Amino acid sequence: MRSKTSYFNPALFRKNLARFWPMWGGASLVGALFPLAFLTILIQNHALFGELMSDPLSITAGYYQIVAWIIPTLSLLYAALCALAAWGWLYNPRSVGLYHSLPVTRKGLFVTDFLSGMSMMLIPYAVTGGLAILVSATVGGVEPVGLGVTILSVLGMSFFFFASAMAVVFVTGNPFAFAAFYFIFHFIAAGLEWLVTMLMTIFYFGVERSYQGVVEFLSPVMYLTRSLNVDTEYAQITNAGGWGESVLTSVTLVNGWMIAVYALAGVALLAFAWALYRRRRSESAADVVAVGWMKPVFRYGVALCAALAGGMALYGLFFDISRANPVPMAVCMALAGLVGYYIASMLLAKSLRVFRGTWKGALATLLAAVALCLAVAADPLGMETWTPEPEQAQQVRFWMRGWNGHGVNVILNDPAAIQEVLEVHRAIVAERETLDRDRDRFEGETYYAYFDLDYYDDPEDYDGRVNRNYDLPCNQALLEQSEALRKLAALASDPLIQEANVFGDIYGEDRDARLTGGYLTGLYNTETKDVEQTELTAEQAKVLEAAVRRDIQAGHLGRTLFMVDEEDGYEKAAYSADLNLDYSVTYLDGRQRPLRTQTLFLNPSVYCTETLKALEDLGIVNENRRLLTYAQRIALDNLEKGTPTYYDDPYSGVYYKDSFGTVYPEEAYVPTQDAYVPFDEAY
Amino acid sequence: MIQVTNAVKRFDGFAALDGVTLSVPAGSVYGLVGPNGAGKSTLIRCLTGVYRQDEGELAVDGQGVWENAALKARMAAIADDWYYFPQATIRDMGRFYRGFYPGFSTERYEKLKEVFQIDERRPLRRLSKGMQKQAAFWLALSAMPDYLILDEPVDGLDPVMRRQVWSLVLGDVSQRGTTVLVSSHNLRELEDVCDHVGILDHGKVLLERSLAQLQDNMVKLQVVFQDGGGVPEDLEVLHASHVGRIHTLIMRMSAGEAKNRLAVYEPMLVDAVPLTLEEIFIYELGGADYAVKDIVL
Repeated sequence: MRSKTSYFNPALFRKNLARFWPMWGGASLVGALFPLAFLTILIQNHALFGELMSDPLSITAGYYQIVAWIIPTLSLLYAALCALAAWGWLYNPRSVGLYHSLPVTRKGLFVTDFLSGMSMMLIPYAVTGGLAILVSATVGGVEPVGLGVTILSVLGMSFFFFASAMAVVFVTGNPFAFAAFYFIFHFIAAGLEWLVTMLMTIFYFGVERSYQGVVEFLSPVMYLTRSLNVDTEYAQITNAGGWGESVLTSVTLVNGWMIAVYALAGVALLAFAWALYRRRRSESAADVVAVGWMKPVFRYGVALCAALAGGMALYGLFFDISRANPVPMAVCMALAGLVGYYIASMLLAKSLRVFRGTWKGALATLLAAVALCLAVAADPLGMETWTPEPEQAQQVRFWMRGWNGHGVNVILNDPAAIQEVLEVHRAIVAERETLDRDRDRFEGETYYAYFDLDYYDDPEDYDGRVNRNYDLPCNQALLEQSEALRKLAALASDPLIQEANVFGDIYGEDRDARLTGGYLTGLYNTETKDVEQTELTAEQAKVLEAAVRRDIQAGHLGRTLFMVDEEDGYEKAAYSADLNLDYSVTYLDGRQRPLRTQTLFLNPSVYCTETLKALEDLGIVNENRRLLTYAQRIALDNLEKGTPTYYDDPYSGVYYKDSFGTVYPEEAYVPTQDAYVPFDEAY
Repeated sequence: MIQVTNAVKRFDGFAALDGVTLSVPAGSVYGLVGPNGAGKSTLIRCLTGVYRQDEGELAVDGQGVWENAALKARMAAIADDWYYFPQATIRDMGRFYRGFYPGFSTERYEKLKEVFQIDERRPLRRLSKGMQKQAAFWLALSAMPDYLILDEPVDGLDPVMRRQVWSLVLGDVSQRGTTVLVSSHNLRELEDVCDHVGILDHGKVLLERSLAQLQDNMVKLQVVFQDGGGVPEDLEVLHASHVGRIHTLIMRMSAGEAKNRLAVYEPMLVDAVPLTLEEIFIYELGGADYAVKDIVL
């Protein structure tokens, strides 16, 4: 008779599985389709290419990819269904009456329903996994470690997500509220971070708008999907036919340990669920929040989220959201917070008549929303004015884009180079008010220089980076007025920066790069009138690389980035040509990796005198094969088409005299200053 | 025996049970009567372990009910809104009950099939309310409980089936010594089956008596006084009315004692007539400020 009153009730377990068999049965059926589809594809390949076998490591890599990219989201969704199936009776006063009057303790119900839900959760995985193993064993064998890791990972994630769903199950007494709370539980941390970051972005000049995921570990499905990865290593071998071939030598589930950590957290969540269930009152069935102490958390939590999200939305409706004025923003946040507070109160009371007894809470919400807004606006942490101390910038990655779309994208480890960047950042912070104001003043009327910085105190810790980015209005007048802009423009052609920009990704302590050749595009053949490309030998490439380095040291590279207010200046300075240098890169860390080839693209300008001279010395550029600037190229194209040419700005009064039959082609592709005539004379 | 002592149960500050004390003797049929909202269902849910009382004690056979699975295995309850699984048939629910109640008798289940005459393979949701109630009795009685707790049990049953059901319940009481606690807002319903009655109102027990006590303590007399006179002023009556010369008096005493008192006035006629349970409660509580009519209607 012990079984009738023990911690596990087989009748209830059977009933649960029998009642919801369409759910787990359907999921199993859908899951089973995938290994069968895999098998079908292999058979089709066999028919076409005569290959049926796959190696066990490749199969393991496939398993890991599913674990990393599919199981977290799938488990998140399916756990909610399983929890509802196992515990849905809690949300109906009639069923609660039946279950709790039965001769079984709450502990018995808890254990039995937990096992029922977990079974419903795992049966489809077991069916799918079993078939997958069978198919894998048939076509290539199973690698036991990979299989073990996969099984443990699926078990761990299933357990964690089901435990989290169970913790939420007992918080509410309503299935719709359960669905809402469950997803809120899993995304609230990331959502709040996004909202707070958004508010800071509106208030703080240069603070990153995008979500960084500082507390993303509290939103497990996002964290797992982002963190889990599959690392594969290949070795180069020579096969029986004498051909080189890449062979998979190792597969690793990167950050797989996180699943174990979440599984442990699942144990804590399960204990929390049990504590909630023990204290839960049966009469709370159908309540939005079933736990007394959580009601104020819900009420003020909704108010906070409404104040942040609704406040910014309301502000954006009436004001420019790219920049916040604290007073109207505080009013918007207070109003939105108030709405959220009363919505939460109505949901809790299941009545619309909540206004009379809740004015104190409403007042507290108003004051809190205003205080929050003003506190953020006051920037107590000094985020807007922050620039890193040298030890906080062990590495800097920055991206700078000038008006013409070209830019600099580098990773700096050299303290001297980092110091150059810091100087620019400090200058921008010092001029932040003027620069921020000018963003509005020149909106749509000028070019913007984009300066994006990531500071790392530990280069290995991507999540620990601090980002700042600045959209800076940039024209000739502003360049003359602003020291920050001048420093930024100078940074673009700084030898340290350009060295890192051009060669940083090619050369490094961990690799050996060997020049193998290259090619030059955009050579204009004056005899054939065609644009040609010429191959470079390794020797020629070495000479040119050395010339490029001399140009960098002389500050010639990057000078065209800030040629603002000279619409035709850039086009007259930059060549419509690309110098490409090819490298063969091998890594020195001993790990087997496929051979890497890399091409360096350079867009030379008239300032790159060393490179131009080298090209002439090598005979690549001569009288018959010339480099054309963009201006020359456009003029030439138009000349051939017989259409007029003019440069961007019709208000500058300067037009290019084109092909009205007065200019010979030979002169057209080398225009001189005389080729420009005032607007009136051109027409 | 069921013993409730100072039981208090509050919902958001409202006391649905406000210090209830009552005692249900073993082997008795105890009628719990009260108007809607009196706290009957709340008390029953506390007694069946659905709710936990905030204060006081609830004991069955001297043991607390809360989380006492062994004790609850000897108790069967039929709620006024009995729950069944949406797709389930009576047979399915029977299997479900069998998995929980160690004493569940398949033999009795089969025998009761003859009594209720409902197709056990039909989904419960397709049965009428009355048939669902019969199914609830079918399963509860098959569990062979020592304690049967019924909340508005015969609502929806036709008169014939009501008699049939009560006959089964009383049969268990007489043959197996089953203790029955039955709630109703209708005194007339319980009059023929209860041997103990308690009145619950506003979460309190107003009155708790055995039927014998009640009947011994109050009398209804029809009296004709000499010369067509009225009720003497010094005579203590709970209620008096008359039709022509015939006065109907309700007095709080036994019939013998009442006749002795009246003998002083040498009435032409004194005749004791039986009081209904409904009348007893009306006159017992008539002096108090309670909505007695709500209870008995």
